[in-house]
Amino acid sequence: MKILVCVKQVPEPENAFIIDDSEEWIRPGTFSYRMNRFDESALEEALSIKDRYKAVGIDVISVGSENSKDVIRRAIGMGADAGIYIFHDPVGYVSPFLTASFIASYIKENNYDLIFAGAISEDSLQGQVGPLAAEMAGLPCVSFVVKQEISQDFKGIYVERELDGGLVESFELALPALLTIQGGINKPRYPSLSNVLRANRVKIRTINPDLFGKTVPMQGKLKLTIPQKRRDGHFLSGSVKEKATELIRILSQKSFIA
Amino acid sequence: MGKMNKPGQKSIFIIAEHNENKVKPFLFELASCACKIRKHCPAEIKVILLGNETEKLSSEITHTTGLDTLAIEINELALFNPEIYKKVIEDLAAEFLPSFIIAGHTPRGLDVASGLAVRMKAACITGIENLGETEGKICFRRQIFYGKIDAHVTADSEPLIITVQQGAFEPFKPENSATGKVETRRVNYVPLFTHEKGIRRSRFQDSSISEAKVIVSAGNGIGEKENLDLVNRFAAVFPGSAVGGSRIIVDRGWLEYRQQIGLTGTQVAPELYIACGISGASQHLAGMRGSGFVVAINKDPKAAIFNESDVCVVEDLKIFIPVFIEEYGKKTDP
Repeated sequence: MKILVCVKQVPEPENAFIIDDSEEWIRPGTFSYRMNRFDESALEEALSIKDRYKAVGIDVISVGSENSKDVIRRAIGMGADAGIYIFHDPVGYVSPFLTASFIASYIKENNYDLIFAGAISEDSLQGQVGPLAAEMAGLPCVSFVVKQEISQDFKGIYVERELDGGLVESFELALPALLTIQGGINKPRYPSLSNVLRANRVKIRTINPDLFGKTVPMQGKLKLTIPQKRRDGHFLSGSVKEKATELIRILSQKSFIA
Repeated sequence: MGKMNKPGQKSIFIIAEHNENKVKPFLFELASCACKIRKHCPAEIKVILLGNETEKLSSEITHTTGLDTLAIEINELALFNPEIYKKVIEDLAAEFLPSFIIAGHTPRGLDVASGLAVRMKAACITGIENLGETEGKICFRRQIFYGKIDAHVTADSEPLIITVQQGAFEPFKPENSATGKVETRRVNYVPLFTHEKGIRRSRFQDSSISEAKVIVSAGNGIGEKENLDLVNRFAAVFPGSAVGGSRIIVDRGWLEYRQQIGLTGTQVAPELYIACGISGASQHLAGMRGSGFVVAINKDPKAAIFNESDVCVVEDLKIFIPVFIEEYGKKTDP
């Protein structure tokens, strides 16, 4: 049984993102990065399968700039067996079609029974790479999975996902299949010392995506703008106490408080 | 854009979601989006409804929206199956050649949108919040970088598949009481790889949060679970208030599911919404945009929630809330 988990590094939300002069992307900066939380949950689901069935191997794959290797190493530190890194670091926006086509090409050349990806990335919230890669690789796919249970013969998987209004729908998929995982459904484990040591030693397989042939981004250029305010957006000023007093005044004027 | 056909020949598909024999009201927002696209690109709008008992639903759709509905009766489909949806809509698209296919930015919508895009060699833009036109091309607005920046993505090719963020478009109001036409077809498709295993109501819905006059809501920025107590004490200041939270707080088990506000939780519209330590990711905004007056407290001055707020307080809520409660206490109990 082989599982592939797709992971992505995302910049921490507290970073300052400044639009560059071309207005097509942001200024390069020294951002702090971490693993997308949805991908952490996806990895934890894979690790939970490995905990249960010994004959399970987990590979992680990441597409992006050189420091994507950091999230691959973190994933190995958490318990994945091996890492695959697809080097793709053009300036500017990368369409999910490109990322997905690289992953799909890799999947087609390697046999995996199950592929996990985070349902969305926290920074761009597109939710596309998983379902796109599944379709390109010809695999069934269900997104936003909150619970999975693999059949004992490893031929199928039962999954549940939440819809709005407290509804839960469930499916059974034939393997191989790709599932995208909702964030926060489990408690991703911390890297263990022995795994971290191994992660530092292990060689990450690097693939040049040119090997996969020509791919089409399918999305046009972006123009970036600062979001417009949808409401007044009145910033209170002064000390903490002054802001609190002002807010009390505003809310009492509107009769929300006495 | 490809070659322009005469107005009327083009079409826009809207994919309707339904559960428990009810069409999701979100359809009205998708219809609004379709009408806005139609202003830039004249086309016929068709609501696509898939199911095994479509009659009641399709007539409800045409009566309430005035739009044409194409209902596909599929015996093998109970409610939703991504494999059946993709196959059937792919076939319909091959017949009608829609310029746009619109789905909700929901788990089901995302199951279908990207897969269809690959099959149809179409572009796909997800989570759109608005649209406009630049240099003769329709362009769609969506959030990136945690909502701190808007990206305007141009549609360079047709067809285009989009998913629409909930709460971004005003629900559609039909211009007149004209009723659209219903066309019903029967299709058979036995899924090979993906099988429905039913739908259930897992956690009970509590109406208290959707009926509360004031909602004080906690996000990731509250930090420790202990700070939830602060949020509770803050909420206690407001008569008729309830405490809610973003998905991450609920996932951690700090609040109950019924208190979750957002795309996969409850959609609320209280008179006053106070966001404490909420960053303003579109998933959460989808659940609170209808609120009357919005106050946000966040220590990050660039947090996206401030674009959705009437009053913005840039402070650490752990410091601000106790001061607020103390000052308010002085005022009411001199």
